Amino acid sequence: MSVITAGKPAGVEPQRPARRKRSPFNTAIGRALLQAGAVAALLLIWQVGVRIGWISDFLFGAPAGIYTTFVRMAASGELLSDTFTTLFEAILGFVIGTIFGSIAGLVLWYSIFVARLVEPFIVAINSVPKIALAPIIILWFGTGLVSKVALAVSLTAIVALIAAYQAAKDADTDLQALLISMGATKHQIFYKAVVPSTIPPIIATFRINIGFGLVGAVVGEFISSQHGLGHLIYTASSFYDLNTVWVGLFVLMLVGFALYYVIDMVERLLIPWKVSTATHLVQV
Amino acid sequence: MALAPVQLSLRSIHKSFAAKGAEVRVLDGLSFDIHEQDFVSIIGPSGCGKSTIFNIIAGLIEADSGSLGYRGEDVASLRGRVGYMMQKDLLFPWRTVLGNVLLGLEMRGIAHRTAVERAREHLHAFGLSGFENAYPKTLSGGMRQRVALIRTLIMDPGILLLDEPFSALDYQTRLYLEGVLKQAVEKFHKTVVLVTHDIDEAVALSRRVVVLSGRPARVKAVHDIEIAEHSPIAARSDRRFAGYFRTLCGELDIQTAAQQPEALAS
Repeated sequence: MSVITAGKPAGVEPQRPARRKRSPFNTAIGRALLQAGAVAALLLIWQVGVRIGWISDFLFGAPAGIYTTFVRMAASGELLSDTFTTLFEAILGFVIGTIFGSIAGLVLWYSIFVARLVEPFIVAINSVPKIALAPIIILWFGTGLVSKVALAVSLTAIVALIAAYQAAKDADTDLQALLISMGATKHQIFYKAVVPSTIPPIIATFRINIGFGLVGAVVGEFISSQHGLGHLIYTASSFYDLNTVWVGLFVLMLVGFALYYVIDMVERLLIPWKVSTATHLVQV
Repeated sequence: MALAPVQLSLRSIHKSFAAKGAEVRVLDGLSFDIHEQDFVSIIGPSGCGKSTIFNIIAGLIEADSGSLGYRGEDVASLRGRVGYMMQKDLLFPWRTVLGNVLLGLEMRGIAHRTAVERAREHLHAFGLSGFENAYPKTLSGGMRQRVALIRTLIMDPGILLLDEPFSALDYQTRLYLEGVLKQAVEKFHKTVVLVTHDIDEAVALSRRVVVLSGRPARVKAVHDIEIAEHSPIAARSDRRFAGYFRTLCGELDIQTAAQQPEALAS
């Protein structure tokens, strides 16, 4: 609001435009109530629809059934153990893929020759849908943890590599020129100018990559596994146990949600000089 | 006035750039001398290659031919021995004020504790105590440029190359920083080469003004500015100021440009 009055000449009483009355719903609590209300309404319609026979319980499940399934699975501990399995695979794959991908991308800055040499290969690898690799990855790495992590790595590493390389190429050349005039070596330019300026774009890929980590873990579990949320969803759906499928999906959603905010925190810790790159849908 | 010994000399420097297949000659046999503790301004029409001269001196680009002499020796460039300041403050956004000031000392491998001590002294001297841990984005344009100046001076460079360092600032801040610069230069006995297209700034600050012709750049004239005032504000009210100003404007063809439309087009 102050922006509007800032331009007025000094001494003139700024004419405040009549402040538009804010809707009582447009507050943090109001919005939360609306959001909760929308979810509750959806669940209610769903439940009632099933009860009066408009929605097939068999194909869609029902909120009440989902809830009892959730409580039963949570109490038995199997939900927690499946969640941890998937979370562990996803995070491990994400961390390994991001570290190796970023380092590889950064190192390409050192030699334009090597970068140009490998560029078509990177583009080629990137254009293969990595999910298509899942069957061979299972063949190579077995049905346990390693294959899921490998799949998550294959998805995340290439994203990190391309982002890191692009960011290194885009690093401010004036800052580098300044360092050269100070007598910096190529190493010093790399560590003092290039690497720090690539951190924000690399962290921006964390948001995409944490999702890819989950994709890798879940798809790996679909194909072959004994544990994990992907395994839970896959086996339940083959038994038409829709309530269990929904439990698995909701927990995955919660996991993704939580990881997003963890990355927000990591970002604020790692780049205090910058405002968040978070892309919140609602800007207030 | 007895001339100090020559510190830096440029001898028939040539430089061309390839642009859209054609060769553009930017510097065509440029020669001039900079004396010890000199304050020289270089003025000339836009795009005449002023920044190219600096880039060659600082070792960012190589001249096609010609030579550089520094205190009697032939050198390839003054890389590592110059303090380069540009219009953009070029502060590293991820470094605090203190971190930015330390940059050059880190490059030289000076022990961290000694470097920090020296940096704090400089920050104090320039009235920036208390801002050590601030990030550049939180500072005003004038403060940022002051930090950049400290970063340059703390390296104790043999020669300061200032490429329109104040042109992005508002007039009051510019006057203030000109004063800060002038004082610092006198205190630390520095040699300064200032590229500017502000004739007023050139006259107020320098002991000599080198006027370059349009591209390819040659030295058109060199003027000694005999204004004894130290402060740039006082210098502007010296009775000779207007005379120098008019002469330099004349040399840059500023009054005649209106009668020569082709001069405007270039």
